[in-house]
Amino acid sequence: MQFSPSIEQLIEALRCLPGVGPKSAQRMALHLLERDREGAINLSQALADAMERVQRCSRCRNFTELDVCEICSDPRRDNTTVCVVETPGDVLAVESSGSYRGLYFVLMGHLSPIDGIGPEEIGLDQFQQRLDQESLTEVILATNPTVEGEATAYYLTEMLHSAGVSVTRIAHGVPLGGELEYVDGTTLAHAFSGRRAVE
Amino acid sequence: MQTQRVALQPAHVLHQRDYRDSSRIVELFCPDHGRLSVVARGVRGARKSAAGRAALLQAFRPLLVSFSGRAEMKTLTAVEAGGPVVTLRGDRLYSALYLNELLVRLLHRHDPHPELYALYIDSLQQLADTEVLDLVLRSFEYQLLEALGYGFDLASDGMIGEPLREDGWYNFHAEHGLVEQRFAQSGVPAFSGADLLALQRQEFSPAVRDTAKRLMREALSGHLGERPLHSRSLFQNALRRSGATPS
Repeated sequence: MQFSPSIEQLIEALRCLPGVGPKSAQRMALHLLERDREGAINLSQALADAMERVQRCSRCRNFTELDVCEICSDPRRDNTTVCVVETPGDVLAVESSGSYRGLYFVLMGHLSPIDGIGPEEIGLDQFQQRLDQESLTEVILATNPTVEGEATAYYLTEMLHSAGVSVTRIAHGVPLGGELEYVDGTTLAHAFSGRRAVE
Repeated sequence: MQTQRVALQPAHVLHQRDYRDSSRIVELFCPDHGRLSVVARGVRGARKSAAGRAALLQAFRPLLVSFSGRAEMKTLTAVEAGGPVVTLRGDRLYSALYLNELLVRLLHRHDPHPELYALYIDSLQQLADTEVLDLVLRSFEYQLLEALGYGFDLASDGMIGEPLREDGWYNFHAEHGLVEQRFAQSGVPAFSGADLLALQRQEFSPAVRDTAKRLMREALSGHLGERPLHSRSLFQNALRRSGATPS
């Protein structure tokens, strides 16, 4: 059966969502048309608004509607410490841990030569400017513990050393509630090499 | 096409990218299957089983993989550690990423290269051990071209078959290899016979290493096409920052 052009277009448009194939897109489109017209109008309005207003924070590259995001402009936060993360999701994760009161820099990715992602694509030129302008005392590298994340961390380390800023890397190790027996060898090796004296 | 099942094949991860919500498409390099793509399902996300497999599926880590499937893209059914991890940091890591980029760009899929796999493992180990990273890379590049059927002779003129002369100047030709330069041409890089002979005798002075680098770059460029190699830019930036002059 052939749908009318507007429905076809809606189905095609929904497929841009991650994990949505032709079948799910069709189900979503029909659901909105049949049962939830109001929700659909809200959705289209919210999408249009967000696409128009949300941009990158000029300081940390996170998504925001302001020129400088709320975290960056919060006077209660420690503005001499910056935590470098790969994605906005990582910022949320660190924020919800409640253990960090400094600022962020969001790379929106990691160095990946094979994908053609170099230092400029992840905003490191912008980070260099920030290093020149602000007087930071510590930069915490919280890129993922993957090969690409490590390459990115190393690149940043070199940048920061030549700028004379102290660099720390978040610890890798055994997850809370985990069992040593089931932790993979590399993680365990990291946990051992990063062990600390008990006070 | 029949369903192919492969069990516990040695492999290294060359590259991977996210696929759907919780899966990854992993580019593997195996001795008997060459370069191939597999879908690794359920290796992302918060589940415990995901974390264990994701920790294994990292580049530069010897693995034993099992996969099956009919189509071009296989499904990864099992993965386990296949040996101790080679620890690579900093420039060594960039160099290893460069090897991976070369393999992804130059190897055809499903083209078995057991000798190249052995060379790859050996080169990774050398990158972890040695101080002279560039020589490991040059040797890998040379042997990679040879394995792919694009090898050339470092000892003689590819056009007339005579041994290289100390005072000669040579150009690189994609078909013939090294060919003596009869008259000076601007814009075509030339290589000194003395440096090339020293290279062959494995006497690596800075000038010889530079010649080797330019020669291999020239030899690879014909096969890489227009797109630049991005891992090179990592080195160039690193060199620029550390104040050294890039060669």
